[in-house]
Amino acid sequence: MFWQQLVNGLVLGCVYALIAVGYTLVYGVIELINFAHGEIYMLGAFFMYTYLNAGISFYFAFVLAVISCIIVGIFLDIIAYRPVRHSDRLSALITAIGMSIFFQNLALIIWGADIKRYSRHFIPAFFRKLAINLPNDSIPIFKNVFLTVSYLQVTIIVLSILLMIILHLIINKTKIGTAMRAIAQDKQAAALMGIDVNRVISFTFALGSGLAAVAGVLIGMYYNSIYPTMGYIAGIKAFAAAVLGGIGSVPGAMLGGVVLGMAETFGAGYISSQYRHGIAYAAMIFVILFNPSGLLGKKRVEKV
Amino acid sequence: MKKLFLSTIFLLLFTTLAFSEIKIPVASPYTGPLATFGEGVKNGALLAAEDINKAGGINGEKVKILLEDDMCDPKEAANVATKIAGMKDVYIVVGHLCSSATLSALPIYKRAHLPAISPASTNVTIGRLSKYYFRNVYKDDFQGKFLARYADEALHAKKVVIFYENNDYSIGLKDAFIKEAKKRGLKILGTEAYTQDDTDFKPILTKYRALRPDVIFIPGYAPQGTLIISQARELGFKCKFMGADGLDDKIMLQNPDAEGLMITTPFIPDKAGKAAQKFIKEYKAKFHSEPNWFAANSYDAVMLAAQAIKHAGKNREKIRAYLASINSPAKAFKGVTGATYFDKYGDCQKPAFIKVIKNGKWVGAEIQIK
Repeated sequence: MFWQQLVNGLVLGCVYALIAVGYTLVYGVIELINFAHGEIYMLGAFFMYTYLNAGISFYFAFVLAVISCIIVGIFLDIIAYRPVRHSDRLSALITAIGMSIFFQNLALIIWGADIKRYSRHFIPAFFRKLAINLPNDSIPIFKNVFLTVSYLQVTIIVLSILLMIILHLIINKTKIGTAMRAIAQDKQAAALMGIDVNRVISFTFALGSGLAAVAGVLIGMYYNSIYPTMGYIAGIKAFAAAVLGGIGSVPGAMLGGVVLGMAETFGAGYISSQYRHGIAYAAMIFVILFNPSGLLGKKRVEKV
Repeated sequence: MKKLFLSTIFLLLFTTLAFSEIKIPVASPYTGPLATFGEGVKNGALLAAEDINKAGGINGEKVKILLEDDMCDPKEAANVATKIAGMKDVYIVVGHLCSSATLSALPIYKRAHLPAISPASTNVTIGRLSKYYFRNVYKDDFQGKFLARYADEALHAKKVVIFYENNDYSIGLKDAFIKEAKKRGLKILGTEAYTQDDTDFKPILTKYRALRPDVIFIPGYAPQGTLIISQARELGFKCKFMGADGLDDKIMLQNPDAEGLMITTPFIPDKAGKAAQKFIKEYKAKFHSEPNWFAANSYDAVMLAAQAIKHAGKNREKIRAYLASINSPAKAFKGVTGATYFDKYGDCQKPAFIKVIKNGKWVGAEIQIK
């Protein structure tokens, strides 16, 4: 049971991490909590649904869904956040909440309220195959070990780790990554150094939205249940993960996602299924109580 | 300003006189995750109104259905109920669908002396709490007991795991099931709660993997039910799945893992009587889909409401008294779901059937118990 729970928790955690990174990227660069981020994740799942039903092949539809979400993310920044960039943080925050409600209702109008599923024949059969299937009676030591892992679960874990590494390289090794870090330090100084601030911020939104879209499609396949409000809870959880890991820190968001996923899974499995969300949030509160900047967050020194 | 006010009043009076019609509000979730249930209620009610109006209306007045959306949310239900109770020209309500919504609306209707017929709320306590509440559906204590009997007599199950949602409907069903199951010596391996927002059931399912249950009983709603079934199959569970009427949803038919799922239902199209066949035909012609039990019960509830207004007049108290007087099989209202008559709490006795998913379609189960 322990090993199965570990796999369950890791898969859940990786998905939280993919969404949490989007929160943390945007916060790191412009100090805005983008509450519409969970909705981008939801839209990713729905775009995939539409493209699959339009007869587009699986992998191409996946890429298209990610590109669509990147476009939505960029437009979200240009239309909603750019006009309020220089006003106080509260108006940007309220705009974000407004955009979240807007996207939820837009999805409700376009796709309807009932739950949608990806039809089984659209998804490659490979994902449903089992990578590990125990108990296996031919191997005596595994007789009483129950562990099933599908290739989809393996894909989720591997793809998440891969994307995180790529993201890490983009931020630390490329020119645009350097520009992002520069803007995070000081927006005005960065602009004076010749960095196109708006373009870099749009790139940040594109990056976060793309990752959220990947998470949306993977979760859509994993649970096979997509609906307009699915982004809300996932968004809140991922936000908690970002805070737990230290908001603004990308490795922190990854770690936070996995810790939160594990806490939730083991809490539900060993303590009580009724309090699973409570246990996950309690873990977050416990961490920030002792370390207010999160697990890997930068300590901020108040200058007087 | 005063002139404008007066002319508005006149205009309103004029319109009500010119197109005199009787409003029957039908409260149900039309948006939100349970909107597909509300869809059946809506279609059934609209079809009933059409049939009533085709036959000349209620004493010459046309029936108009007001669709009130409660989203299956107790808070929304209270808002909707307050709005309905405040309408002076409303004499009876059909609704709500979810038991939690009905329980939230119940005191509001009671205070306004407004009689209500719920076509789908099966929680046990509803009838006892208000003499203004009636329903043409069976109760969860009956349904839960029926399911436990079925698990024992038809499926010969020994070990059962229960997954229930934390709401009035699910808890009532679970309790009734456990009571009967214990009496019959079935072993309940565990009961696990979840909420409407949960999507990941693997951690809880993993706990029961090694215990090899015969049946997983899910007295909840379809959005989570379908996830539980799929995730259990992924983890390698070989057991049977049972549920109650809350799992009666299209999404189950689209889920290949749900093949063989057994649920209770008050209405099976392929086993229904003559009056029902006419209803099924009309429904299919109008909405291009097979009517589910929500549609059938909603059709009957609106028909019964219309009959009550016809006999008792436009008076809330008299309508209540009329409905309460339908208290024996001889006086029963005969609708598409069979005969409906009320006991002293406003509850009714209706037969239940088991239906099962075969090749992606609901069909009556081969073994039915009385």
